[in-house]
Amino acid sequence: MTGFLNGAYFVINYIIDMGASVMLPIIIAILSIILGVKVGKAIRAGLMIGVGFVGMGLIVDMMNANMGPAAQAMANRLGVSLSIVEVGWPGMSGVTWGSIVATIAIPLAIAVNLIMFALKLTKTINIDIWNVWHMAFTGAIAYAVTGNLWIGLLGVVFHAVISYKLGDLWAPLLNDYFGLESLTAPHGTSAYMAPIACLVDAIIEKIPGLNKVNLSIEGLQEKIGVLGEPVVIGGILGTIIGFLAGYGPQEALPLGIKMSAVMVLMPRMIKCIMDGLLPLSERAKEVMHNHFGDDADFYIGLDPAVLLGDPEVVTAGIIFIPITLFIAIIMPGNRILPFGDLATIGFFIAIAVAVHKGNLFRTLISGSCIMAMTIWITNQTVPWTTKLGQSVGAVGANETLAAMDQGGSPLTYIFTQLFTRENMAGLIVIAAIYIVCMVFAVMHSRARQAELDASMDEEY
Amino acid sequence: MKKKVIVACGGAVATSTIAANKVVELCKNNGIDVEICQCRISEIASNLPADLIVTTSNVRRDYGIPLIKGMPFISGMGVEKTEANILKVLNK
Repeated sequence: MTGFLNGAYFVINYIIDMGASVMLPIIIAILSIILGVKVGKAIRAGLMIGVGFVGMGLIVDMMNANMGPAAQAMANRLGVSLSIVEVGWPGMSGVTWGSIVATIAIPLAIAVNLIMFALKLTKTINIDIWNVWHMAFTGAIAYAVTGNLWIGLLGVVFHAVISYKLGDLWAPLLNDYFGLESLTAPHGTSAYMAPIACLVDAIIEKIPGLNKVNLSIEGLQEKIGVLGEPVVIGGILGTIIGFLAGYGPQEALPLGIKMSAVMVLMPRMIKCIMDGLLPLSERAKEVMHNHFGDDADFYIGLDPAVLLGDPEVVTAGIIFIPITLFIAIIMPGNRILPFGDLATIGFFIAIAVAVHKGNLFRTLISGSCIMAMTIWITNQTVPWTTKLGQSVGAVGANETLAAMDQGGSPLTYIFTQLFTRENMAGLIVIAAIYIVCMVFAVMHSRARQAELDASMDEEY
Repeated sequence: MKKKVIVACGGAVATSTIAANKVVELCKNNGIDVEICQCRISEIASNLPADLIVTTSNVRRDYGIPLIKGMPFISGMGVEKTEANILKVLNK
């Protein structure tokens, strides 16, 4: 028996040592075949994941090689501290899928979901395998930092349990504001940051005068045209940072083009990973559907991307590009230069918009709190995300890796800090703020459900 | 004639990949020659003209061409009706 275990251990380690771009394709292909995907299709899926991983590595390398020194030079020249360019969720999700924890996280997250549903602890059924990466991130970080796989898996369970509860909390709001009946978006940044919006909303409601204020900007997207597109944001930001770094046009303009390339190419690379996960995620969806039928009382958990088309979310997402940069500049001691997540700030604030029922004034205030907290936490998790990036071979020994999306997650921070105890003051403050916000989130969700029930009664 | 379909979602990674695959499959099964352009919602305008837009989120902006919500491809509920609507537009 020991011989067999030692043998299995040797084989697994041998595969892990070949790196994520080999390990992942093998594991995903095997997992797909086990779940009934045809062999050829499963092999193709595995290879696509490898391709996505290699592609992501190329882009992160290029970004670090070009933007890194420019941000450093800019920081030195201007006396600001923003020297770490964040890669955003596309880069961070790719790195997370490279961790061994992420692969185990898929069945683990499904199992936690089924158990919670069976015990009536949640009404959310998550059919979105892609976004399991958010749960996997907490585990992957905890594993990379502590070196203990069990703590890593516990991290996945911790994040998964909270995600499904958040799914229950936000379902009435998604129904009411976005018109998505029986659907919810349990995972991702907007779900776990929206409790902050609930607290802000409750406070504003109590302030006479302020509670009457509403702003509205009609058709901002049409007005600014291509300025809101990732390719343009990347180009402008890259060029400006080049000039601020003291580069001449001959260096600043190529930097702009390269940053446009990062913005456009990064999601295309990550899309390959999604392509590879597709057969697996479609099978998981089928299994879930067959298991629960159509008439049971549950919320289907979807990708928060379904919220990003709402006009108020789009408008707020555009306004928050400059606001986020401004917060990053004025925050004392901040080292994070927002970049990769700028084009999709909607992912941070989409549910906050629903909390405020589309009131832009309130979204601006709560969104600023959300982005400030995100940047604050991201600063503290840089050593962790860097360690994760290095452990999967996506970043070199002297490079850093940071992302606001997930890198700035209070869930990941609180969980990992519990085991590392590097910064007890930070842990206590962030945990206290977050728990208070959660209490308000529960109250807000109940009030919105009551409103929904009341309006249903009126109709009959 | 080749039809161009823009499939858009929030990040051009996850949900639009699922929807795009479904549209390709649907068109293949119905003998429609189709070209897919997968992008973010904010990039739809730049990718026009097209014959149809499929989005996986609630887009209320009018682009002057038919826009169909591809949410059922993600949730798995109401897929047949959505497929019928897509075919109706593309078979015109």
